[in-house]
Amino acid sequence: MSLAETLPLWMFAALAVFLFSGFPVAFVLGGLALAFGTIGIAAGEFTFVQFYNIVPRIWGGIAENLILVAIPMFIFMGTMLERSGIAGALLRCLERLLASVPGGLALAVTFMGTIMAATTGIIGASVVMITLLALPPMLRARYDPGFAAGTVAASGTLGILIPPSIMLVVMAEMLNRSVGTLFFAALMPGLMLAAFYAIFVMLRATLRPELAPKPDPALIDAETGSVSLVWLVAAGLVPTAALIALVLGSILAGWASPTEAAGVGAFGATILALFLPPLIDRRPIGQWLGQFPVLLRDVAERSALTGGMLFGIFVGATAFSLVFRSLGGDDAVDQLIEGTGLGPWGLLALLMLVVFLLGFFFDWIEITLIVLPIFVPILEGLDFGDHVARTDLLYWFAILMAINLQTSFLTPPFGFALFYVKGAAPPELPMQAIWRGSVPFVFLQLAALGLVAAFPDIALWLPKAYLS
Amino acid sequence: MTRVATVLERIVCACGRLAAWAGVALVLVTMADVVTREFTQSSWGTLRSFSEWQQNAFGSTKLQELEWHLHTILFLLCLGWAYVKGAHVRIDVLREQFSERARSWIEISGILLFLLPFTGLVVWFGLDFTASSLAQHESSASAGGLGHRWIIKAILPAGLFLLMLAGIARLLSCIAQLTGSNMGRAADRDR
Repeated sequence: MSLAETLPLWMFAALAVFLFSGFPVAFVLGGLALAFGTIGIAAGEFTFVQFYNIVPRIWGGIAENLILVAIPMFIFMGTMLERSGIAGALLRCLERLLASVPGGLALAVTFMGTIMAATTGIIGASVVMITLLALPPMLRARYDPGFAAGTVAASGTLGILIPPSIMLVVMAEMLNRSVGTLFFAALMPGLMLAAFYAIFVMLRATLRPELAPKPDPALIDAETGSVSLVWLVAAGLVPTAALIALVLGSILAGWASPTEAAGVGAFGATILALFLPPLIDRRPIGQWLGQFPVLLRDVAERSALTGGMLFGIFVGATAFSLVFRSLGGDDAVDQLIEGTGLGPWGLLALLMLVVFLLGFFFDWIEITLIVLPIFVPILEGLDFGDHVARTDLLYWFAILMAINLQTSFLTPPFGFALFYVKGAAPPELPMQAIWRGSVPFVFLQLAALGLVAAFPDIALWLPKAYLS
Repeated sequence: MTRVATVLERIVCACGRLAAWAGVALVLVTMADVVTREFTQSSWGTLRSFSEWQQNAFGSTKLQELEWHLHTILFLLCLGWAYVKGAHVRIDVLREQFSERARSWIEISGILLFLLPFTGLVVWFGLDFTASSLAQHESSASAGGLGHRWIIKAILPAGLFLLMLAGIARLLSCIAQLTGSNMGRAADRDR
């Protein structure tokens, strides 16, 4: 192959090198697009005018795009639930409800991860949030630190899979498929994983009670104050769960587009934040309302920064992909793939391995935005015969990729969710304990991955049954 | 030099903070669109007539276009602010091992080689893009949409220009740090 033909591959090699410089990912992507475009001009493979296309691409792909509008509003909803203290109240309520069940505190974390999945998007942020909220109570109740940390890491990352996750919105956009259908496809595998976690936690706590001692009732009461359990459920659990059920349900029932549902969710979260927190703790509401404008500004600003970060990578990746394509990147990847001589299952395994390894270093944002578009032509060439219909292939692949990414985030020693747990946990919690605790969850993930690969209907049955 | 940097950062932050409210507006507009579309069939007279008035006066198309207009304002004008605030993702596996000086050098090289050329290019072509929209009197493609498309298109070069200013500010403070005129940890003020 000549230099011109290998240029797109060098582009990726350069990306790998420069990302590790620690310069922001978004700008490395944009800068390399420019650099390799310039090299392409010198090699006669690119023209300066083609750079202009970056602008309409950013415009049409990111700005004038009503689907992506859902993302800032889901971020807003999640940030509002977290900053207002509603998320914390939800966890305290679940903890008290489940206090007498074996492994109750860990089980509460699993449920919390499932319910709040709607509003968790960025892995780092959601793992940090759930670690800060859930780990200290478990450690105070003398839970085994590894067991506690593993549960926290797994539950905190579950949010990328359970709809309405932001990652699924982005994936559907990159695969050019319907967001609603992908939500449907993700629902059963997500709930299946949550059930696996719950069963594992309860079994382990039953078999080895010393790992998860029942918390002292006095300790639990100290956490939630004098508020009665019924009140805590009525104020702390029901409204929040209802809001999230409304958001998800209205998308699945076809009443609202994901964007509309996100708007309703963000608005609803704001209304809840307006009166719920003082109600839960039975504090005077006047003082809370007085502080509300400050909270609203804080939430708006935090959400805007998260959105700026996410869409920054979007902008950079758009430029990168455009230049990569123009330099013949798709052909170069095709040749590489043909060179391997693998069949559909072999290729699927290869792509999964690539995603798994990338997940050690990158959040789903980078992986989905940079790598997924390159996978699409490969995927469209795959034929699994009767195992998966051609029309459903991309949905199935997206779900496999989502489970796989989550597995990667949890896998010691590199899985980066584990580092976020370490960062947010009390300093005396050793990294080794976190690694040890996450191993069983990695096996649960691999089991789920294998099941969805072997039985695509776990993901595809629900959309087929409801949407046809 | 650091004074120039501070002023630039203030400008970028002020624009970002202001644009953050577009998120709140976005939520309200989306909610208004959903509610009034649902309630044009409401049996409650006041609500129905209000909804009908809204749908006739503004229409769902206008509101939906307003939604992505607000989204565009929100993310583009916050790009530079996110850089000042250190919110942009970095792969910091190796970065943690680097010295202060090495980090500053990387930041300076990154800004000069990647950030400034890229933002410069997008601002330059973005202005072209806006100008041609203005020259064609471009309006919404769908009936009942918003007019004057060039205004929102101008946000694209504006946002990237703010990012460029943020880059220049960081560049100046990194240089100041290397030359010793400022003991602040310029490359590492994140969060």
